[in-house]
Amino acid sequence: MARPDLLAQTTAKHTEGLRRGFDHWPRSADPPPALGDRRWTEDLILSTWLLAAGEDPGGREHRVGRSGGGFDALSFVALPESQWLSAGAPIDTSLELNRRPYDPKIQIPIPWYGAGMSYGSVSEQVMLSRAMAAERWSTFTSTGEGGYPASLVPYRRHVITQIATGLFGVREETIQRARIVEFKYAQGAKPGLGGHLLGDKTTVAVARMRESLPWVSLFSPFPFHSVYSVEDHRKHVDWVKTVNPDALVVVKVSTPTDIDMVALGSYYAGAHILQVDGSYGGTGAAPEIAKKNIAMPVELAIPKVHRYLSAEGVRDEIVVLASGGLRTADDIAKAIALGADGAVLGTAELVAIGCTRCKNCERGRGCPFGLTTTDPELSLLIDPAWGAERISNLYGAFQARLREILRQLGLSRIGELRGRTDLLRYSQPKG
Amino acid sequence: MTASSSIATNQVELILRSRARLAGPINLPLVLRKSEAEGGCGVIGIASSVPIEGRHLLQSLVQMRNRANGKGGGAALAGIDPAALGVTPRILADCYLLAVAYLTEGARSEVERERIAPMFELEYTHKLPLLKSLDPAPPEVVVYFVRPNRNQLDQFAELGKLSGIDRETLEDEFVYQNSFKLNSSYYASLGEKRAFVLSHGKDLLALKLVGYGEDVFQVYGLESLRAHVWIGHHRYPTKGRVWHPGGAHPFVGLHEALVHNGDFANYASVSAYLAQNNIRPLFLTDTEVSVLVFDLLHRTFGYPLEYVIEALAPTTERDFAQLPEKKARVYQWIQAAHMHGSPDGPWFFLLAQTAPNGAGSREARLIGITDTSMLRPQVFALQQGGPGQPSIGFAASEKQAIDAALESLAGSDSRFGTRADLVWNARGGSHTDGGAFVFSVVRGAGGAAELHCRDKFGREIGIEESTTPYRGPAEIKESAAPSPGLGEIGGASAPSHDLAGASGASTPSSGPALIHSEVGTPLEAKGSVGSIFGAATAQLPNWSYQELQAFLSEVTGGTLGLSDQLELLSLLLDRRYPTGSLRRSSILSILDDALLKWARAIGESAETEFCHHEVGDPLPQASRERESVVVQARGFAAQGRESLALGVRGLVDRGFRRIILMGASGQRFIGAGLGAETEGVRIEVFGSSGDYLASGIDGAELVVHGSGQDQLAQIMKRGRLVVYGDVGQTFMYGAKGGEAYVMGNAAGRPMINAVGKPRVVINGTCLDYLAESFMAGDPLEGGGFVVLNGVGFDKQGRVVDLDSPYPGSNLFSLASGGAIFVRDPERQLTEDQLNGGQFAELRAEYWGLIQPMLEENERLFGIPIARLLERHGEEMAPGAVYRAIVPSGHKALQPEQAWVAH
Repeated sequence: MARPDLLAQTTAKHTEGLRRGFDHWPRSADPPPALGDRRWTEDLILSTWLLAAGEDPGGREHRVGRSGGGFDALSFVALPESQWLSAGAPIDTSLELNRRPYDPKIQIPIPWYGAGMSYGSVSEQVMLSRAMAAERWSTFTSTGEGGYPASLVPYRRHVITQIATGLFGVREETIQRARIVEFKYAQGAKPGLGGHLLGDKTTVAVARMRESLPWVSLFSPFPFHSVYSVEDHRKHVDWVKTVNPDALVVVKVSTPTDIDMVALGSYYAGAHILQVDGSYGGTGAAPEIAKKNIAMPVELAIPKVHRYLSAEGVRDEIVVLASGGLRTADDIAKAIALGADGAVLGTAELVAIGCTRCKNCERGRGCPFGLTTTDPELSLLIDPAWGAERISNLYGAFQARLREILRQLGLSRIGELRGRTDLLRYSQPKG
Repeated sequence: MTASSSIATNQVELILRSRARLAGPINLPLVLRKSEAEGGCGVIGIASSVPIEGRHLLQSLVQMRNRANGKGGGAALAGIDPAALGVTPRILADCYLLAVAYLTEGARSEVERERIAPMFELEYTHKLPLLKSLDPAPPEVVVYFVRPNRNQLDQFAELGKLSGIDRETLEDEFVYQNSFKLNSSYYASLGEKRAFVLSHGKDLLALKLVGYGEDVFQVYGLESLRAHVWIGHHRYPTKGRVWHPGGAHPFVGLHEALVHNGDFANYASVSAYLAQNNIRPLFLTDTEVSVLVFDLLHRTFGYPLEYVIEALAPTTERDFAQLPEKKARVYQWIQAAHMHGSPDGPWFFLLAQTAPNGAGSREARLIGITDTSMLRPQVFALQQGGPGQPSIGFAASEKQAIDAALESLAGSDSRFGTRADLVWNARGGSHTDGGAFVFSVVRGAGGAAELHCRDKFGREIGIEESTTPYRGPAEIKESAAPSPGLGEIGGASAPSHDLAGASGASTPSSGPALIHSEVGTPLEAKGSVGSIFGAATAQLPNWSYQELQAFLSEVTGGTLGLSDQLELLSLLLDRRYPTGSLRRSSILSILDDALLKWARAIGESAETEFCHHEVGDPLPQASRERESVVVQARGFAAQGRESLALGVRGLVDRGFRRIILMGASGQRFIGAGLGAETEGVRIEVFGSSGDYLASGIDGAELVVHGSGQDQLAQIMKRGRLVVYGDVGQTFMYGAKGGEAYVMGNAAGRPMINAVGKPRVVINGTCLDYLAESFMAGDPLEGGGFVVLNGVGFDKQGRVVDLDSPYPGSNLFSLASGGAIFVRDPERQLTEDQLNGGQFAELRAEYWGLIQPMLEENERLFGIPIARLLERHGEEMAPGAVYRAIVPSGHKALQPEQAWVAH
């Protein structure tokens, strides 16, 4: 590592440059080259930067991308303005995460929390930024599967401990300090493939946290070796409830064609929250072939789960959260209208703190913005306080936009939007 | 091919073709998606050489309720006591037992009019009682003892172009197709489900309903019904707001009923395979297609059981290469022909079956088959009777369920003991046992029956000894000090057994002198408990059961301190030693009783160094003088807020440092939830421990006096686990550290994904996938490793080498760290078992690591290092006996290390 004073100066220089860019580019008529992709368009990235700076998106398209499908093909059916709620009407965006008649109630003021991104997939500074933002908004972020860095412990009331199939970094105290424990059975970005951290990112520090070997690729198996059926699943939940009897349990699954059965099984296993993770998410480290070819699009999976659980009469006992490429407040609202109770955000938070979707996430030193890096010098580019501020601002903007959507739909509670597919319109993508 | 050749190929074709008429007229669509998702199940099967009552399955099923959700339970019985059904043995053996479930009023008369009266000669009708009401109401069940009507049979043969096939095959097919039609029109094709056939085989009856497994026994009065073979099942279906009994297990082929725990990935493929053979499932579950495939292969194709098992759970990988050439060729044909009908995914089947035995009655069988990858829990057990005594075999999801059934049996029938002689796991799709076991009850003409247990290849399983098990009362009368005369012991309740003769030695004299020998009373042995143990085990081969009991009475009633008593009883329970003419399982039963007596004494006296705790008591507080507590585990829940595990945690929170759990009955998660830094806490478990024991322990010590179950020590961080027996699946999955000592074997996938520095000694072997994805650093730098000794014990308690230290195909696969030190004096292990590892010499530094662990292993289990270093009786250098397996190629990225600071 460089000399401390030199490192500080270099970091300051680069940070200054990057932040100027985050301020400048959204206002520039000529956006920088090679920014974004059809799902995360230039406009979406630049408007997210504006929102993260606490500003309005200006004239930039901040609601949809140009993917030609998914959430980009859905829009809300506008109500005549005469039926809108008044501008100052109170609109409740809160979400209760425990709908079971037992265990502690946990209400979050906004219907989303932060997705699991492991120590190793992102830097500790990024994890801290997210945890601090979660604390500020009384919501949550998740450890992902890479251990629980000590720096996160002060924010433990807002950090979900993830237990994934490799069981990396999971210990009793990490389960016990969490109010919510998440079982990651699968993830939308690589369904059926378990987890995967390439050797290049498995630095000495990352390996120490996972108690594995440095520079060796880490594969989490699929599925859990101890869970091959619904009664194993229940036993698994019972295990966590033995270690931490008050914990709420999230089950994170991808979107196989029998997602409805999986959802119901999770309900019977005792889960409080089901996270349905679609394939539009994941960092650039997730293999394209998996993202694009396995499992169902999340906008099909959500209504399937919602309707199935409703038909089974258990929908109101379990919270369903959608995730996997939800970029904007509009995406969140659409997911809810399709039948989810709320959302889980990952990439949107990274974009808020500088991600340009350049897809170099699988390399330890690939990320030029210090986000998905395991390099101790590169990770200094993110100051957690700055990151938390940016994510927090984005949350504020999302909440405001969500209220605006609800107001225009004449709804005063986010819960009233759930399953209202009648309010959505599918437009044939142009081109 | 033997049995199959007796069935002409064209006969098979004729039968299959005749079934085309079945699916056609009814116009059944071919459904390739199952209607139910399940997988959760608890199963138990029993086969006994004497008929036993159904109630002995009740406690097993109650203790496995956490594998079910009350939405489906079932049972089947085979080798039924004819008197219980009010028929003669002749009728039972000759007639088909057509058991029909009626769900709606009026269905019965219609079904009888259309599908029973015209089709059959009715010998007898037995309506089962409905002794308990449930919601939804259990179906009304009528069992018809029938023979096919001669005219109908002729007509059937003619219409189906089946003339020329043998009579029995024709009758079987007639019954089968009649039931198919009944089910199609009264269950599958209607909006309203009115009636369906539960079973229709000979000497076989299956029952099921919406509820738990034990409900079936209580509703239909099976508790007092007697049969040689029983299977019981709970299920955990999740789909559907309305459940129908038709979806519950068992499902039947013809002469077999099958229950199942698992879930297939290839339901569509199996259904398509059946469709090619003109078989259409009607209930659309994995279980139904499983038994249909079984019935097709066994009854229609005439495959012997071995080939049926091979078709279901194919032999693969290295195991295939180990097969004899001729067998490999047959298996290859079977796999080529039937692979797409082979269920893919996690499954464990239990079947109750009957087959003609050529002596006028039928052979009743219990068959257990695991999938090739062994992804579902499964355990088998055998209790072998002495001459003239009954034998009994088991297969179940959990060992604790078998223990519960044995306890129930022994509690009411002195011919059974509480402990099995053998308990083992099947190795799926293997060349060693084939992953399947068949318990057959062979009844002779005189009514006497024998139980045989054979593996897939027909090899007999049993204990090779002539010892007589103890089948007397469990304890000696309390007033018996000095020790009572022999006449009083056991004689009253077990008069038919010559207990004195059980010793095989000269008739012992009565009174206290009987435990004396030339070297004096063991209790007079000076010094430690260890020396008493030594003296007792030296004399024990010459003892009778009465002498053993008298000795134990002196132990628990004498001057020895309570701690010493426990230590001595534990040693006797845990260790292996010569037992003379005594059966080891019987000695363990007697010790169980002595331990209960010891615990009761603590409960009754406040003046001991042990606190006492049982369910319902407020949690006691430890004090400096009393840091130990004895817990009566029975009655604590298996999981949840009232669980034994949380009770233990409460006791640790109240300062207890030593927690002794007595009489555990399958409770899960013992030792979990204690949190970080629990050095100095020691938890000892007696009885039947449950899954996930010692998971996450971080400093504490867990001692299991017996075998553990599945998922032990998951994510274990630090501390120690000692198991005086075997451990089940995924042992130490994701462990980070700690030490573990296993006296026996590990089942599938031990140490998988373990990291950090776990250090483990397994004295037996593992089924497969040992230390897959092991990432436990460099052992010489503090990392983890596994020592695999590949030894077992003979009857004399001596250490013997197993046939192979590791029979599996996958060893240390994809491992990047840690090491395996395997004792392989014959150098049997080969490169093709490794995938990511390589053999290495046992360097002196490695021996320096494992020697201290083997010393501890010797102290714990009495397995001498000197013996482990022997090859053909000669002591060798460690490197000549042990081999190291280390990762290969994991340092490929090492040069990259330069880019970042440490």
